Amino acid sequence: MNAERLAKARELLEAFPQKSSALIPILHLVEEEFGWIPEEEVAVVADLMGYTPAYVESVLSFYTLFHRQPTGKYLIQVCRGLSCQVRGADELSKFLYEELGVQRSGTTEDGMFTVEAVECIALCKDAPAVQINLEFYPDMTPEKMQAFLDKARQEVPSDA
Amino acid sequence: MPETRILFKHIDVPGIDRIDVYEQHGGYQSLRKAVLDMTPESVAQEVMTSNLRGRGGAGFPTGRKWSFLPKDGRTRYLVCNADESEPGTCKDQELIYKNPHLLIEGVAASAYAIGAEDAFIYLRGEFKVGYAILERAIAEARAKGYVGDDVLGSGRRIEITLYLGAGAYICGEETALLNSLEGKRGQPRLKPPFPATAGLYGMPTVVNNVETLAAVVPILEMGGAEYSKLGSEKSAGTKLFSVSGTVRNPGNFEVELNKVTLRELVYDLAGGPLEGREIKGIIPGGSSVPILTPDKFDVALDYESLAAAGTMLGSGGVIVLDDHSCIVKSTLRLMEFYRHESCGFCTPCREGTMWLDQVLERIEAGLGRPGDLEMLADLCVNIEGRTFCPLGDAAIGVLKSGLELYHEEYQAHIDQGCCPLGEVVR
Repeated sequence: MNAERLAKARELLEAFPQKSSALIPILHLVEEEFGWIPEEEVAVVADLMGYTPAYVESVLSFYTLFHRQPTGKYLIQVCRGLSCQVRGADELSKFLYEELGVQRSGTTEDGMFTVEAVECIALCKDAPAVQINLEFYPDMTPEKMQAFLDKARQEVPSDA
Repeated sequence: MPETRILFKHIDVPGIDRIDVYEQHGGYQSLRKAVLDMTPESVAQEVMTSNLRGRGGAGFPTGRKWSFLPKDGRTRYLVCNADESEPGTCKDQELIYKNPHLLIEGVAASAYAIGAEDAFIYLRGEFKVGYAILERAIAEARAKGYVGDDVLGSGRRIEITLYLGAGAYICGEETALLNSLEGKRGQPRLKPPFPATAGLYGMPTVVNNVETLAAVVPILEMGGAEYSKLGSEKSAGTKLFSVSGTVRNPGNFEVELNKVTLRELVYDLAGGPLEGREIKGIIPGGSSVPILTPDKFDVALDYESLAAAGTMLGSGGVIVLDDHSCIVKSTLRLMEFYRHESCGFCTPCREGTMWLDQVLERIEAGLGRPGDLEMLADLCVNIEGRTFCPLGDAAIGVLKSGLELYHEEYQAHIDQGCCPLGEVVR
C-alpha cells in the first residue's frame, strides 16, 4: 500500500472496539489501490494485524469482492440475478463478452475492462442492472453499454 | 388502491439527503423526543406497543427481540443489517441512497432505547456509494449533536460506525453478519446463544434490518398505539415491497399490511404484465420463498395471509415471472445463486445445492433423465430442516413449490429434450 493508505490502515486498527474488525476494511484499502489483492500485500496486511498470511487468506477468500487476480481499470459487473435475467441480463453479458472478447470473469488484454457476471446487486427494480467500479448503472441495454465503452476508450488511451 | 407512504413519505423530496432539508420536513424530531423527553424503557415500550415486526425476512416482533437483552450491565451493541442481498429485494438500497438521515435517526433512537452506546451499520460491499452517502450524513448529524459523545446535551453517548462487507449473501444472516463484522469469514454461528446474550464481540447485541430501524422514527412520531392501528393486529404498519421481473412498472412500493392484495400490488401499482404477456407465477418474499400461481394472487399482503397461502412475506422482494419465463431456467438460475452463496460449512447445504444445480442444469440443457424430478424432490427432502442455518431451506423454497406447481413444464423438458417455450439452450 502507498503511504497514505498505510496511514489509513493504522487508523483503522484503532477504529473498532476490537482490532479484528479492521481486517476487512484494510483489505478494501488494498483492493482499492491495486484493483486486486496481491500476494505481497497479504503479508503486509497480516503484519499489520498480527496474523499469519494464511489466516488473512482464509478470510479474504470467503468474499467475492476481493480479487486474487488483477482486474481492469473498469470492473464491469453484470447482475445475473433472476429479476435481471428475465429482463435481458444474458443478452447484456453476451454483448459484453463478444464486444470485449472475454469470457465470463475475464479481463481484456489491454487491462482496460474486466467483465464479471455477479449475483444480485440489489437493483432489481432497475433491471437489467450493471455496476461499474461499484457504481450503479440501472436499466442497461447493449446500446448504453456500447456508449459507456466508447467513452471509456476515448478518455484513456489503450496503452495507459 | 394507493400506497401508504410513511417510510417513503419524503423519499422523493429534492435534497432530502441533506440534514437541513431533512429537518425542514420534521427530521430528527423523533430522536429529540426520545432522548430529551423519554426514558430508554419508554421508547422500547412504544416499539413493543406498535407491534412492529422485523422487516428483514423473519418477521420477528422487534419489541420482543429488544426485550431479550439481559440486564447484567454488560456493554450492549446495536447492529443495523444493511446487507440487503436477497434476490428481488432493493428497498433498503433506495432508502439508504435517497434518505440516509431517516436510517441514522432510527438507529440513534433505537440505540438509545436498548442502552447501546455503539451502533454499527453493516452494508453489503456493493453499497460503496451508499457508504459514502451515510458517511456524509453521519458527519452532518454529528455537527448538529444528533450523534456523538453527548447527544443533544442529554449526556448520552451514541456513536454510529459504518462497516462495508465484501460480497457474501450469507452475511445477511445475523450471526454470519456478526462474524463478518468481527473481521472473520462470514459463517453462521450455532444458536443458542442468540445475539441478545452473546452477539458482537460476545456482548449482548440486537441486529435489526434497515427498514425495521427506520420504522422506529414514525413509530415515535405517531406513537406506538397509533402505528399498531395500521395494517392488522398481527401484521401492523406499512411494508416496503420491491416489485421486479416481468412487469411494466417495477419499483419499490410502500403499502399498509393486510390492506392490499398481491394482485393489486403487481397489476395496479407495478403496472401488470408486459405487453401481450401473461403472468404465470409470483415469488412474493424474495427468492427464498415458495412461488404462487395465479389462483393465489388475491392473497392479502401480510405475514399470516401469505403463510396461509403456503409461502412467506419474507423481505418483500416480489419477483414476477411471465409466460416467456422458463420455470426450469428460473429455478436453475436461483440454484446457481444458492450454490455459489452456500458458505460451505454444513454438508446438506454445500453438497445439496451443488447436486440440485447439476441436475437442473442437465434438465435445462435438454439432457434430463427419467427420475430426475424425483431426484430433485428427494434432494429437497434431504436439505429441508437439516442445515446449520436457514440458507438450506431458502435454497429450496422456489424449487420445491415449483416442482409441484409447474410439474408439466419440468416434465416436458425431460420428455422433449428441450424447453417447450423455445428458450435458447446455453
